[in-house]
Amino acid sequence: MEPNGSGSDASRQVQARFVTRLPPPLRVPPASMAVPSHLTRFGLSDIVNLLLKNSDPDHENQPFDFLIDGELVRMQLDEFLIAKGISAEKVLELEYVKAVAPRKQEDPRPHDDWVSAVDGSNSSFILTGCYDTFVRIWKSGDVSECTHVLEGHTGAITSAKFIDIRGVENEQNFHLVTGSKDRLLRLWKCDAAKRRGDPIRVGAYKILAGHTSSVQSVSVNPSREMICSGSWDCSIKLWDVKESEEDGDGTTISLKKRKVNSKTKESVDARLEGAATSTLVGHTQCVSVATWPDPDVLYSASWDHSVRQWDVPSGKETWTMVCGKALNCLDIGGEGSALVAAGGSDPVLRIWDPRKPGSLAPIFQYSSHSSWISACKWHPRSWFHLLSASYDGKVMLWDLRTAWPLAVMESHQDKVLCADWWKDDSVVSGGADSKLCITSGIEIQ
Amino acid sequence: MGKEKYEESSSDEEVNSSSDVVEASSDEEVESSSDEVEASSDDVESSEDESSSDNEKVEESDSSEDEVAPRNTVGDIPLVEWHKDEEHIGYDIKGRKIKKQPRKDKLASFIEGADDPKNWRKIYDEYNDEEIELTKDEIKIIQRVISGRTPHAEVNPYEDYVDWFEYEDKGHPLSNAPEPKRRFIPSKWEQKRVANLVRKIRAGLIKVSDQNKEEEHNVYSLWTDDTDSVENKKRGGYVPAPKPKLPGHEEAYNPPVEYIPTAEEINSYELMYEEDRPKFIPRRYLNYRSVPAYDKGVKESFDRCLDQYLCPRTRKKRINIDPESLKPKLPSRKDLRPYPTTCYLEYRGHMGPVNCISVDPSGQWLASGSTDGTARVWEIETGRCLKIWEVGEVARQICWNPSPDRPILAVVLEYDVLLLNSGMGDIDIQTKMKELLHISEPGATEDAGDSKSAVTWIQHEKHDGIRMKHFKAVSSIEWHFKGDYFTTVVPSGDSKAILLHQLSKKHSETPFRKLGIPVTAVFHPSKKKFFVATKKFVHVYDLSKVEKIQKLETGVREISSISIHPGGENIIVGSKEGKMCWFDLELSTRPYKTLKVHSKDITRVTFHRTYPLFASASDDCTAYVFHSTVYSDLNQNPLIVPLEILRGHKPEHGRGVLDCKYHPRQPWLFTAGADSIIKLYCH
Repeated sequence: MEPNGSGSDASRQVQARFVTRLPPPLRVPPASMAVPSHLTRFGLSDIVNLLLKNSDPDHENQPFDFLIDGELVRMQLDEFLIAKGISAEKVLELEYVKAVAPRKQEDPRPHDDWVSAVDGSNSSFILTGCYDTFVRIWKSGDVSECTHVLEGHTGAITSAKFIDIRGVENEQNFHLVTGSKDRLLRLWKCDAAKRRGDPIRVGAYKILAGHTSSVQSVSVNPSREMICSGSWDCSIKLWDVKESEEDGDGTTISLKKRKVNSKTKESVDARLEGAATSTLVGHTQCVSVATWPDPDVLYSASWDHSVRQWDVPSGKETWTMVCGKALNCLDIGGEGSALVAAGGSDPVLRIWDPRKPGSLAPIFQYSSHSSWISACKWHPRSWFHLLSASYDGKVMLWDLRTAWPLAVMESHQDKVLCADWWKDDSVVSGGADSKLCITSGIEIQ
Repeated sequence: MGKEKYEESSSDEEVNSSSDVVEASSDEEVESSSDEVEASSDDVESSEDESSSDNEKVEESDSSEDEVAPRNTVGDIPLVEWHKDEEHIGYDIKGRKIKKQPRKDKLASFIEGADDPKNWRKIYDEYNDEEIELTKDEIKIIQRVISGRTPHAEVNPYEDYVDWFEYEDKGHPLSNAPEPKRRFIPSKWEQKRVANLVRKIRAGLIKVSDQNKEEEHNVYSLWTDDTDSVENKKRGGYVPAPKPKLPGHEEAYNPPVEYIPTAEEINSYELMYEEDRPKFIPRRYLNYRSVPAYDKGVKESFDRCLDQYLCPRTRKKRINIDPESLKPKLPSRKDLRPYPTTCYLEYRGHMGPVNCISVDPSGQWLASGSTDGTARVWEIETGRCLKIWEVGEVARQICWNPSPDRPILAVVLEYDVLLLNSGMGDIDIQTKMKELLHISEPGATEDAGDSKSAVTWIQHEKHDGIRMKHFKAVSSIEWHFKGDYFTTVVPSGDSKAILLHQLSKKHSETPFRKLGIPVTAVFHPSKKKFFVATKKFVHVYDLSKVEKIQKLETGVREISSISIHPGGENIIVGSKEGKMCWFDLELSTRPYKTLKVHSKDITRVTFHRTYPLFASASDDCTAYVFHSTVYSDLNQNPLIVPLEILRGHKPEHGRGVLDCKYHPRQPWLFTAGADSIIKLYCH
């Protein structure tokens, strides 16, 4: 216990103790020690690595991030303490976590046209939708191997989602849904069997018609039996996909059938035709996103500047929040899977807490982008991490505990149109440079 | 003799009436005396000249007699009655009784009178109880008075008249003529002149200057300070030299100790600036004679003299106006959000200047026409080019059909107007569009009534649309809000300059004749009105009656663009000299406001359909965004606030922004530049 140096600032020290929730090999002794206060997270990271090397000579240096009172240190330690008004007299508890940063940039998967939709919810496949009207499935691991090409749409794909995310290990077929600017949704069934050679051409087994304008987004509900879609015709339609599967029985529909929209065209074969079970009307402009995170609750964002929460059984909207900007993307996640992250026609990524009473002001605003935000996604397991993609060609990783992006991925040369997490540690993004970029090695506990 | 008789009678009466005293004495006595007076009157007359020498004496005696105060003080009482039995006749001034004289009996007095030749001159003064003997002169005066002549003989009542001035041989204009009448009556001409002046003053033709005031100003105050007087201010504000400071205690030869600066203070003066340093440092002297001469005295008085006559001491008139207060009171820009501010998206692909853009009524697609001979459709949200038509000529104007179920694009080329199926919309709309844009007999549908038709409707094979061949160059096109009618303007078309077309019937007509050179024409957003802009005027027509309602005078050199407020009562007009005019149709036919904003031609003005915004694009590479609130209250004028200058386009061949259009539902502005880029400015 040395007294703090009162001479030059460089020698000023603070008492700190390093704690962590990481597994034992990465734990340092909990004794408090004096650290120079001008250190940044890199210096602190060196100290932790040194301590770890003392206990374990085989330890490999790795970057850490440091939290003080639940906030990430993003400047010099003394500046941080002054900015947050924390006393330097007490022993600081520095919690260290593994730094979240992309470590590996995989080769981009080339496409024929702009990549407008991507889904990484399946750990073995990546689903991409493209402006050339094709939907592609890419297998993990192998470089630029496209396993399936789904043909049938006549317009650009705007959204593509896995319906069931069972992997290839059980050798089952998996189902997909895609939405397109040709006003239709298509359901696909793919064979997940491993095969070499040319990609398999697949046709849709069912066409869901009903939207009168471009479908902008498709989302699958948690029970994997329903999907919802938002469209330029200002409506959200709910579709039952369980009954359409051959092996599923139509009687086990959890939702009551409401008004069936029967504006389907005779031009499409009736056998392939599917109709919406319900339509949620309320938005006045293009519904750009509709997500279905909870069995009973559906969120939608629209160009009419509003985010709406819908109660699915009653079809009523329960919460409306007007943010003043046309919204392009929306995701629900974070703490208790309740925070709403949305971005739109300005460079600010905003996060709201619908549970907070009386206030519709965003609780977080991140404005490091320089153009429209085209996609935002919460990390599937972390409460703090989310990614955002923007027309300025950047994909950014965010932690709610700091106002600066954790990482900026500038792998695209043009607008990024879509982005998603993949396998918890990778980010897949597609853009107007016709590439699907995969950034992996992002360790998030 | 007759004359004498007359004198007698008259004198009798006079004596009788004039003096009671004589009467009181006795009638006989008076009679006798009067006779004697009469008898001696001739004597008096004859001796007039003799007595003239005695005049002075008489006067003296008169005056001396006057000075003798009457002895009796009883006043004017009837003495005869009251003091008849008393022994006294009254009281003297000291209050003593005045005894009566012993009364002579009549006989004795008669004898005495008879003896005394002067008896006829004696009069008894009853008041003082004494006898008075009149002198000869007094008798004479009495006699002259009685005889009606002047009392004194030397007065000549008939003297010769002597003129009071001399006029003969003096060459003097004065005349002796009697004063004419006109000198005594008011002048008629003066009266007329006064009446004339009064009339002019009342009418305000003559200002009556207050002369009294000037007279007052002649008296000036010698001692008071007149710097604040009105006259001084009028003259330009002379300021007198400041009075020198009066000497204080510190200038005494032996001031109190507190005035004496300490040595430290004196040293500190050395550190001060020359101007701030005190000029006089007090010192103490034992006595007055040891005080030295003031060394700066001459210099200071010289300085003061210089200061008094050289220093220009006039009050400068400076108008202190806060420049902020001159600005019109406008609401803050923050309160007028949202409005387009930043460019986030660019639509790149055209190879030449983009002449025109148009946004689809749903707000999903953007159409553009360029000099590179293509028309394109873009997806607004991503900036992707969805469709390209190679039209082969310069696309001058492009326009989406405002009806959402008719996704038709009208493209203006040099002589042709192309109606293209944009390919948006679902299948049944597409089939309808194909039917609509199909002409069964090419050339059959012509302008009825005219031998030489202005427009020919032809099927366009290459792009699956309709080609409308005009007889002369077309400048602009505008759809009616219902989406069936549209108008094209052929500036050099004379009587067929404005064409109205009906899409469903493939029919054209020219309802308006006798126009100048029209520039552009637009439909009213809700009513059956039609606006035609010629080079300097905007004509408003009623479409149902086909007649002119209004003619708006813009006052600009050449109109380039016109836009109608969604409410329909306000229009803006952009001109080729960079001016923008706002018209309130209910207010006036002249501009409510003229905004001089651009340095070069305004290429396009446009209103937002839902937000209170309008914008102007110009060849100086800028687009201006304005806020415009139009109140439903007719008494309130529209509020126009400039909000933002949008820059970003680069000049190309001297041209800048060629077109600007608002997004129909978002507060976003699209600008098309000569640098072949379309930019989207978002809020």
